[in-house]
Amino acid sequence: MESIRTENVVKIFGAIRALDGISLLIEPGELFFLLGASGCGKTTLLRCIAGLETPSSGSIHFGGREVTKMAPHKRETAMVFQSYALWPHLTVGQNIAFGLEERKVPKPEIKRRVEEALEMVQLPGFGPRSIDQMSGGQQQRVSLARALVVKPKCLLLDEPLSNLDAQLRVEMRREIRRIVKENGLTGIYVTHDQEEALAMADRMAVLTRGKIGQIGTPEEVYRAPHSAYVANFIGETNIMTGEVLEMRERIAVVNTPGGPIRGRVTDPDWMPTHGELVRLSIRPEAWRLHLDRGDNPVSGKITDRTYLGQRIQYWVETVIGRQQVVEMNPHVIHEPGENSIMIHARHDDVVVLKG
Amino acid sequence: MKRGPALFITLLVCALFAVFFIYPAGMVVKQAFEGEDGFTLDFFAAVFGNPIYREGLWNSFALGISASFAALAIAFPLALVGHRYDFAGKPALGVLVLAPMILPPFVGAVGVKQMLGVNGAFNALLVKAGVMNAAMRYDWLAEGRFAGIVLMIALNLYPILYMNIAAALSNLDPAMEQAAENLGCPPWRRFFRITLPLAMPGVFAGASIVFIWAFTELGVPLVFDYGRTASVQIFDGLKGLDKNPIPYALTAVLLVVAALVFSLSKFVMGRSPLGTAPRPKGRSSSLRLHGWKSAACSMLFLGVFTLATIPHLGVLLLSLAGRWYGTVVPDEFTMHHYIEALGNGLVVPSIQNSLMYAGCATLIALAIGLSVAWVVVRSDLKFRGVLDAVVMLPLAVPGLVMAFGYLALSQEGKPFHFLVGAGGSPFMLLVIAYAIRRLPYVVRSAVAGLQQSNPMLEEAARSLGATPARALRRVALPLIGANLAAGSILAFAFAMLEVSDSLILAQQAQHYPITKAIYTLLSTLGNGTELAAALGVWAMVFLSVAIMGAAVLGGKRGGLFKVYPPAIKRFPGGSSASSRVRRRRAVSGVRSAVRRYLQRWIHRSHSLQIYDSYE
Repeated sequence: MESIRTENVVKIFGAIRALDGISLLIEPGELFFLLGASGCGKTTLLRCIAGLETPSSGSIHFGGREVTKMAPHKRETAMVFQSYALWPHLTVGQNIAFGLEERKVPKPEIKRRVEEALEMVQLPGFGPRSIDQMSGGQQQRVSLARALVVKPKCLLLDEPLSNLDAQLRVEMRREIRRIVKENGLTGIYVTHDQEEALAMADRMAVLTRGKIGQIGTPEEVYRAPHSAYVANFIGETNIMTGEVLEMRERIAVVNTPGGPIRGRVTDPDWMPTHGELVRLSIRPEAWRLHLDRGDNPVSGKITDRTYLGQRIQYWVETVIGRQQVVEMNPHVIHEPGENSIMIHARHDDVVVLKG
Repeated sequence: MKRGPALFITLLVCALFAVFFIYPAGMVVKQAFEGEDGFTLDFFAAVFGNPIYREGLWNSFALGISASFAALAIAFPLALVGHRYDFAGKPALGVLVLAPMILPPFVGAVGVKQMLGVNGAFNALLVKAGVMNAAMRYDWLAEGRFAGIVLMIALNLYPILYMNIAAALSNLDPAMEQAAENLGCPPWRRFFRITLPLAMPGVFAGASIVFIWAFTELGVPLVFDYGRTASVQIFDGLKGLDKNPIPYALTAVLLVVAALVFSLSKFVMGRSPLGTAPRPKGRSSSLRLHGWKSAACSMLFLGVFTLATIPHLGVLLLSLAGRWYGTVVPDEFTMHHYIEALGNGLVVPSIQNSLMYAGCATLIALAIGLSVAWVVVRSDLKFRGVLDAVVMLPLAVPGLVMAFGYLALSQEGKPFHFLVGAGGSPFMLLVIAYAIRRLPYVVRSAVAGLQQSNPMLEEAARSLGATPARALRRVALPLIGANLAAGSILAFAFAMLEVSDSLILAQQAQHYPITKAIYTLLSTLGNGTELAAALGVWAMVFLSVAIMGAAVLGGKRGGLFKVYPPAIKRFPGGSSASSRVRRRRAVSGVRSAVRRYLQRWIHRSHSLQIYDSYE
């Protein structure tokens, strides 16, 4: 178990700055997520940590050691590849034993640890099978076992679930988190799937165009995004603009065409001033329908609805724009129509962001 | 595709192969066992009992093995360096090292003979450098003839291996190597544990072709006056074929050995459908080199190129030489040989003949190849795998064996005699022989093209009201046109270069193809050698243009030379995948298949430079 620190890591491919000054501290034993749209640099950062790419500038540290220029095979990281990268000329057992053989572990111990690893990923007795005989989900587990068996300082996972079908993906999330936690590993997990990140991460970093957008626990990032980009990327949200009327503590009152709306300022490095143009982010599930009294009332008309069983989704046309509203466990279904309705959002649920 | 046409094509092709391929080869074997009183092993006993034939067979075998290893020694480092590093001039150098293929090795041998002879350029160079006594020139080709033949063949054929290995390496998921590195494996051990085992299919595919080629090579030993190989012994025995059964037995032995090697390599490959199937690719890990390291890699490629083109240079110099005796370069240069060649009774007709033979053969191969590819990739016939294997068989059967079988069968009163045209024209025989032997190239390129193009694109056309034939013509053919053109050009080029069929089947001077004309000119007194060289230069120019054209048109990464299909791959929804696999794939596959196809297509249309194929 070791901490991993990157300091101002820059990686330039030709004219593109794939990583533009990334500084991160990942605590020992933490399952840390790198999240972002494709092309944001998350995989490049992971590969820099594995040593498969060398940063153009900046440094990477494992514990107290600098590893920026160290060859990949000396770093004692273990990576799970998106394509699994299982060697087809070796059996399942030989694939898993590979890293141990490279570490000159005695034969009997290799045998024992391979069996343990297979049990850990719930594939006991699959050692002699060839890779072609394994299904996609099984291959995924084998590649996980291959990485885990060497007891790496750091487990690196590059979109390990993206080639699995939806049901298996959900199953494997819990599985991977269990294994990482049981073995006390420091794990870095790259994904573009925000649900995966919310479900599994201790902390996560949202990357955008080679820069860190925000770092925090899933709850922090979801509840208190620091920018409209992050708010939009993690979950769905309604974004509107307005002008600051009043600031009290970290609560701002923002003037909108639909009247004043109160909300929290989440970015600790920013304090809006009177008259500044800002953006508001309100999650669909933060809006409530039909409460006579409440915070931040806005009136509108339902223009469309989608019933999804556990929840219902409405589109409400208001003077501050079309709002998406979600009601969980709906008892009454409102049909689109001419009748005017009211929606409210608690000021805790309204996030005020830089304009 | 409907069952009916697929079945029809399969049966037709199988029938054609039975008559023009299996029958001649089988006839050779049969004759070898048939004495006056039926079955006999006497001829084999005669072959193996005679030290001369034993030596010939042994030499041929040694030639095949040595040439394969020599070619491997040249090709593997090239392919590996090219795979692993980026260095200055790599794209251009990657094409340059393929250059040796533009000359049949026996023509190159003429150039080498000129250079390594007693009064050749190499000795002259040594004398000039003061290393050798001018009065005691060493005859390199007297003692070193076997090594010379090995080297000639290896230097000519290593590109086939190079392309196969490069293709195998480039089809590997880079993550395969990175995973090993990541698990603590240093680079040199990674090579032996991961890279080499995974590249073995490419090595075997290429090496088996090189072996079969060298094992039955006829031209080079003939030019080097090396009579002690089975191939030359067969050639020499052709005159008295009706009385002498020994050539049959020798040919049968060659056929059996070649078939064994072919099946062996197929067996080795068959066990491992290794990481050759395109998968989601990790990022390439080729390392950009700078400074002297980059220069060293460039020098390696350049060095191989220089070494391999010495024969070509020799032929070129010879064709321009007014007088070249005992000096490093000719004393005087002249265009005289080219002009004289135009007036020579052999040269111009031979070019016309070759163009005609090769052109007709290519058309036939194209028609058959496309139909076969269609059945193999798109139909759901149970036996289409067999069909695919059958049309690849010509690679396993040495050209010499086929030529010999055709010759034997086209004698007066034999079944193929009707194929001999008026005045003994070998037109039909050569066209059929060329077409069948070059068919694998066309089939492979057409199959590759069809596999890359998504059947859904044709299904879309069908759903919009196109008949199957129109869907084929308007959607599928335009998409695979580049592959077809590339395959045809190669087939054409190699038909023009064909040696064994041409030497053996063309008997009258007015029907000679280029290669036989060159061979005949070589033994003509006077300036025959120089005229042959001039004709050889024309052939080189012609073939370089053709091969470059083929490369431009889409011979990606030497895919045309890959002998074995890695397994019949197809897109989800294609009819071959078993329903279980199909269901599994369909979930994740449909979208990614469309995406993959588009990416490939975009990639292809943006990479019309030749070098892109080999980077």
